[in-house]
Amino acid sequence: MGIRSSEAIGRRIKQAREDAGRTQESLAQSVHLDRSALAKIETGTRKISALELARIAENLAVRLEWFVADAPPALVSRRNTREPGAPSPTMDALAERVAREVEFVQVHDETLRYQQTPEALRRPTTRAEVETAAGLARELLGVDPAEPVTHLSRRVARTGLLAFSIDLGADAADGCAVLLAHGGVAIVNGHLRVGRRRLTLAHELGHYLFADAFALDWQVTGSEPASSREGKIDHFARCLLLSEDALTRAWADHRRDERPLRASAVLTASRFRVDMSTLARRLSELDLVSNGEAGDVRRLQTTRADIVDLDLVVSDELEAPELARPYVEAVLRLYRQEIVSEARALDLLFDTWNEVDLPERPSLPQEAIWSFVS
Amino acid sequence: MAGREILVFDTGPLSHFARQSWLGVLKAVVGERQALIPDVVVDELSQGAQQDSRLQQVLDADWIERRSLVTDEEVAAFARFSALLVTGSRNLGEAGVLALAAVTGGVAVVDDGAARRAADANRVAKRPTLALLCEAIRSDLLTVKLVSAIADDLMATQYRLPFDSGGFAAWARDQGLA
Repeated sequence: MGIRSSEAIGRRIKQAREDAGRTQESLAQSVHLDRSALAKIETGTRKISALELARIAENLAVRLEWFVADAPPALVSRRNTREPGAPSPTMDALAERVAREVEFVQVHDETLRYQQTPEALRRPTTRAEVETAAGLARELLGVDPAEPVTHLSRRVARTGLLAFSIDLGADAADGCAVLLAHGGVAIVNGHLRVGRRRLTLAHELGHYLFADAFALDWQVTGSEPASSREGKIDHFARCLLLSEDALTRAWADHRRDERPLRASAVLTASRFRVDMSTLARRLSELDLVSNGEAGDVRRLQTTRADIVDLDLVVSDELEAPELARPYVEAVLRLYRQEIVSEARALDLLFDTWNEVDLPERPSLPQEAIWSFVS
Repeated sequence: MAGREILVFDTGPLSHFARQSWLGVLKAVVGERQALIPDVVVDELSQGAQQDSRLQQVLDADWIERRSLVTDEEVAAFARFSALLVTGSRNLGEAGVLALAAVTGGVAVVDDGAARRAADANRVAKRPTLALLCEAIRSDLLTVKLVSAIADDLMATQYRLPFDSGGFAAWARDQGLA
């Protein structure tokens, strides 16, 4: 963390205050400053003390070192299927926080810093190339082409992508991704159901592996998905979760047993842990169903009775709050080694843990007393 | 001021001395050295004094000098230590102590393990409260018996030393400190 001028710190304070929708009067009052003093701090004409900076940071719920640190990496994608292209300040704010905290931990933990990051895959331009790219991605994730992709969040970590699932509510975007100097971060809105959570992560994995520049998902067009950049990433996500090989075989088995379409679809969606809309689209893409059948599948909903009747296993993948395992392991290492305080460790775990959840730190040997008494 | 050793105090150690009415002892232990507290510690002590009036003595002590961390270097150092220790308003004092010790070349009086580790990683000299208590014992300002309870508590909670209750007194006896 370098030394920033008062002017740079002031600019960041102004930005954070405006992001929080606060006026100078309101913030100044909360942190026991005159409005004119805050105005001068924001323009860098008055120096800010550590105490004032700490009060402002706490009041704006921003970590104080961020006012002094470099800007965080930018988003590479933001996916918002419910309202394509709409801004999602809560998702963006969470992505910034996660990206900054992961980078902080990487500075102090070699294991997290030197996670393997694969060479960027060539961006596919045709449907065939998308299928090939998804096959390469499955290899990177260590998935048999004939099997469903289970434990997706754990598997994407093999590529250096750290997946976080946090419930941001129905109004926030589905997910986003940030490329870091070492690896990357994917955020999934844990408010979504399991199939959509997995699809979102598969989508963000695509952006990460293709090392995309920022792309918003408003380019997705329902009628011509494959013609657009985001449409190809969506296609990639479907191919990844529903490989041609695995889905064709599974679907053929169901049809051979002459199961009704509904039971076939419910069982297949459950086995591959995808939502009905994604399954319908993929079945249609692979010419395994007619347009009419695809529509029927899309409208299906798995019921509680299905779970009992068909003996389905309900997946809790990416159930919020879920933090990337390698990241949690790294935070615990920092805690055990006393590189961070207990309070900071809990903060790095996004307050999803309590004090009692943290491991016990080992005792020192008795002779260590000498370092405390002299 | 050059050549005078500087001790930078955190809220915790000062509170220990104030609650036992040992500030006079601490003043004697500090002796010719300079005692400093950063603005964030002043703030913590002021808040603490509202709950426990004994802490007001620290704020009233004229031999404890207050310093605001305001230069770019001081604020940067404060931010660096905050990143390791602070959440909300927790541990702000420690981060301020380490920052002030770093820029003045002083000795940070801190007890928490992460604060001590941060001092080492940033080449900031540090001393634990227990060392100051031992100085007071050696100077016949305090007795082992008087500091025994605080020492045991520090050893168990902050230093994670494997001593039972009464462990410090037993150790001190063995070492001829008592």
